[in-house]
Amino acid sequence: MAIVGLTIAANALNLAVPRIMARAIDGFASDRLVSGTLVAEFLAVAIGIFAFTWLQNIAQVFASERVARDLRTKLVAKLATQNLAYIQRVSTATLLTNLTSDVDAVKLFVSQAVGSMVSSIFLIIGASILLLSINWKLGLGVIAVLPIIGVTFAVVLGRVRKLFTQVQQAVDRLNKVINESILGAALIRLLNSQHHEYDKFIAANTDARNISLGILRLFASLIPIIMFCTNLATLMILTLGGRFVIGGSMSIGEFTAFNSYLAILIFPVIVIGFMSNIMAQASASYLRIGAVLGATTPKDPGTTIANLRGDVALDHVTVAFGDKIALKDVSIAVKAGSNTAIIGPTAAGKTQLLYLLTGLLAPTSGRVEYDGRNLDDYDKTTLHQQVGFVFQDATMFNLTLRENIAFSKTVKDEDLEKAIVTAELKEFVDRLPEKLDTMVSERGTSLSGGQKQRIMLARALALNPRVLLLDDFTARVDATTERKILDNVHRNYPGLTLISVTQKIAPVEDYDQIVVLMEGEVLAAGTHHHLLETCPEYVQIYDSQRSTQHYEPVHAE
Amino acid sequence: MTPSAAPSITNPYTLSSARGQDDTGIVTAVRRLAPLMASGRTRLVVAFIATIVSSIAGLLAPVIIGRAVDISIRNRDLSGVLRSAGLLLLAYLAGLVATYVQTLQMGKVGRYVLFNLRNALFTKLQQLPVAFFNQNKAGDLISRINNDTDKLNQFFSQALVQLAGNVFLMIGAAIFLVSLHVRLGVAALLPALVVLLLTRATGGWVKRRNRASLQALGALSGEIQESTSNFRVILAFNRVDYFKQQFDAANTQNYQAAIRAGLASNSFIPVYGLAFNLAQLVVLAYGFVLIGGGQATVGLLIGFLLYVNSFYFPLRQMAVIWSSLQLAMASLDRISEVLALEPNMPQLPPDASTPSSDAVLAFERVQFHYPGGTDVLREATFTLERGKTYALVGPTGGGKTTTASLMARLYDPTGGRVLLDGRDIRTYTPADRARRIGFILQEPFLFTGTLLDNLVYGHEELLAMSRDEVAARLTERNLLSLLSRFEQGLDTKVTATGEGVSLGQKQIVAFVRAVLRDPEILVLDEATANIDTVTEQLLEQILRELPASTTKVVIAHRLNTIENADEIFFINGGEITRAGSMANALDLLLHGKRDS
Repeated sequence: MAIVGLTIAANALNLAVPRIMARAIDGFASDRLVSGTLVAEFLAVAIGIFAFTWLQNIAQVFASERVARDLRTKLVAKLATQNLAYIQRVSTATLLTNLTSDVDAVKLFVSQAVGSMVSSIFLIIGASILLLSINWKLGLGVIAVLPIIGVTFAVVLGRVRKLFTQVQQAVDRLNKVINESILGAALIRLLNSQHHEYDKFIAANTDARNISLGILRLFASLIPIIMFCTNLATLMILTLGGRFVIGGSMSIGEFTAFNSYLAILIFPVIVIGFMSNIMAQASASYLRIGAVLGATTPKDPGTTIANLRGDVALDHVTVAFGDKIALKDVSIAVKAGSNTAIIGPTAAGKTQLLYLLTGLLAPTSGRVEYDGRNLDDYDKTTLHQQVGFVFQDATMFNLTLRENIAFSKTVKDEDLEKAIVTAELKEFVDRLPEKLDTMVSERGTSLSGGQKQRIMLARALALNPRVLLLDDFTARVDATTERKILDNVHRNYPGLTLISVTQKIAPVEDYDQIVVLMEGEVLAAGTHHHLLETCPEYVQIYDSQRSTQHYEPVHAE
Repeated sequence: MTPSAAPSITNPYTLSSARGQDDTGIVTAVRRLAPLMASGRTRLVVAFIATIVSSIAGLLAPVIIGRAVDISIRNRDLSGVLRSAGLLLLAYLAGLVATYVQTLQMGKVGRYVLFNLRNALFTKLQQLPVAFFNQNKAGDLISRINNDTDKLNQFFSQALVQLAGNVFLMIGAAIFLVSLHVRLGVAALLPALVVLLLTRATGGWVKRRNRASLQALGALSGEIQESTSNFRVILAFNRVDYFKQQFDAANTQNYQAAIRAGLASNSFIPVYGLAFNLAQLVVLAYGFVLIGGGQATVGLLIGFLLYVNSFYFPLRQMAVIWSSLQLAMASLDRISEVLALEPNMPQLPPDASTPSSDAVLAFERVQFHYPGGTDVLREATFTLERGKTYALVGPTGGGKTTTASLMARLYDPTGGRVLLDGRDIRTYTPADRARRIGFILQEPFLFTGTLLDNLVYGHEELLAMSRDEVAARLTERNLLSLLSRFEQGLDTKVTATGEGVSLGQKQIVAFVRAVLRDPEILVLDEATANIDTVTEQLLEQILRELPASTTKVVIAHRLNTIENADEIFFINGGEITRAGSMANALDLLLHGKRDS
């Protein structure tokens, strides 16, 4: 509002300038002396314009940057309430466009368009009134061009908005190609397939270019047409005004003032022409932002805050993605403090099962329970503090090692220390020149696969969890380290409920329960010996690993 | 960080935050921007002519009106007024056409600059080695390719048109002013001169602030990229608050930088307006004095005031254009930074080749360390013979993956040589290297597309094949059955973020992709770690059936894989040792000093 006020103040003063000049000229023409007060008046107005415009500019900078910051904060706050499925569906590429170029478009609108629009409209109205007051007949003639301009705007903007939405979508695609070419950089270099990435990029880039050329054509015709319309008004002043002056119904001073006001009128009309581009882009971007802000959030979060005992159960759970069934009528019960292994072929649904237990994935039907209570009922914050999840693939953040492991400022130092020792990371950390304060790069490229895996484990353990979910944790850790780590976990975290998805039978032979999962269904569950006797598929998996068996004694040393 | 800070030696791919030129003179700007516009030279000429036409039309209008006032209206000559009106209409029509041509052509120049710059940036990214990507955030790079180039586009398509037009208008108006009345003209131009000098003096400061702002936007973009692509971890650890906090910090930083840049850019704009008003006052006051002295007429004064308008309106627009130019130059700095990076892994000229019979790959006193890190390999020397299977074992973090990466020239050794078929691996073309060496990365990567797209990806011969031919080749190599785990077989849609595809499945795709290409050397870096053991047996079967000449290098933790190797290398603490027997290897693994 301050902007509008300042804008109007500055422009009101602007409108006064030709008046003063007309008075000066008319005064001079009628041989009255130009007094010093006129100069003082003029100076005061000029300084006033300067001060108000300056304040207006400053206010605009603050307003537009605040709008951008707050929009981003709002977007992120909204994203924070969303579930994983939503983020994956919308995709990182689109969210990145939303948070950067879409917000930028809105910001540009606020910083340039709002002020200019307000001042333009004010100037147009003000100049129109003054024109009418000097000579209403001529004034009306001049103002008659405004509706023509208005209609032209409406037509062009209507067509251009759709194109702007398309441009932003094209930018999404660009983001995606660039992103994949960065994430897959190593593979692309190994396969020497840079030119294929380039082809994909060119296609997306050409698309973006062609759409924006379409927009350009529309605007290229819009601006000259508008200028021409306003020029027609000047023409009218010359012919009609000339006649009036000749006819004696208008003074030369008035005629000059009329021309000056028209100059004032033309400028804002052209400005609106240029701003309409920004406006159209901003409105397309705002629609996209609105779509994110208006998206439905997951149903009410649970409120139960409880210290978990550690009983975990899946009760007739089915998960379907469209008509593809990932898990079918799965029922598993895990007692507090027990060890459970889940074993099965690739793509059997093992990872999804763990996702269910963390609430990353919602069951299509059936219930996921902790201590006999539905997972949905729990307050997510306290639940996640008690359920640690070690993902299959390592995710590192561009933070220090300490932050990557603690991942929160609430983790106590002794818990952090215990987690590091348990994950066999102590030696590694101590050898780093900056210890825990070493920066880890985004894709964790400076770390080996096994180190990342162990950092992931430490991250889960630092929570001091009641339930630990391991997804194929040992795949990238050598057998010795694996054994040591699992021993550490049992020793340092007694009473922990462990659910481990694994490929290897040997380390889990003594577990309380082994679940065989195949094609989304529980095939069998029981102890190692029970399964060996009852489940042929389990025996097949076991046999496939037998070749390594005779090395086990060396191993166990 | 100062531009001369040392890390450029150790980290050749670090994009500095402070580099760039501070000279913001218009000449420097033109010199730097000119190459970007090279392809649009014809367009620029056309646009420039159109600009001149529309400017002349614009300048003529006040002349025609002034003459109409002074001659026709004063003499009460209506037909003279109408003649002037006719001329005015012609001028406006010329202006209409010229403005259209000018806007369209300059807009096109902008779009093509954007298009070409993005292509150039992307091409450069493709030329840079893996090491570059280890050091730069994806989000910031995306920001450079998308946002920074767009700032330049905005400048070209909007500001440059106005810049050219305005400069022309101003020069024209200035000439008219001075030629109409020298002393009055100079007096009218004086305030403008002061403002221009002031702008020039502060240009560098404005640009630096803009640059800092763009840098902050890049960082913000990096933050968003990182958080949204790792959202599941944030959710599972209930660190949404942390995510918000991290984001808020980046957001606030961006806000502050943007405010500083905005204040710098916008503070000068009103000064131009002030200059205009002062010029009006000067002309009016001085004009009256002159008229009083009989040296000017009222008509001249009115015309003069119109020309003061014609001069100062474009000047006021120049203020906006100027800040837009500073933003564009700051963007260009960030873009040039990437474009200026030289890949430090050139192809060497062929050396005296000594193709040996059996040694397909050899390390000669190979040294390696990552930038700023300690030695991963010290004087490693060993030879791999054609057709044999090698296992690389050792503790995690011991250097297995690094050793394998050197075999495929993902990095260059910091000392010594890697020989492929007796020739320095650096003398091979990338295409030749890719054809000979198949590498299955520890972290499998799928491109968005179908499974088939991913299998034939980047391989000319396979790309030329029909779907059925690819399927036939897969069947021939017993690979097709591996893909049965995918719902829709070869047509299954996959994405880079891999929703709905398990890690094990991705590894299967990566395996099939590599084997399908018949490499001479196949490197498997924990390639089957997340695949179930039953399927793994199938994969081993396939590996055994590869041509006898295929050399295999396997990194794995599973003992059975090691067991099948002809030779085992133990890698740890910078040393590569021949383990001899399986038992010895195990002994080293169990009792050797862990170095991770």
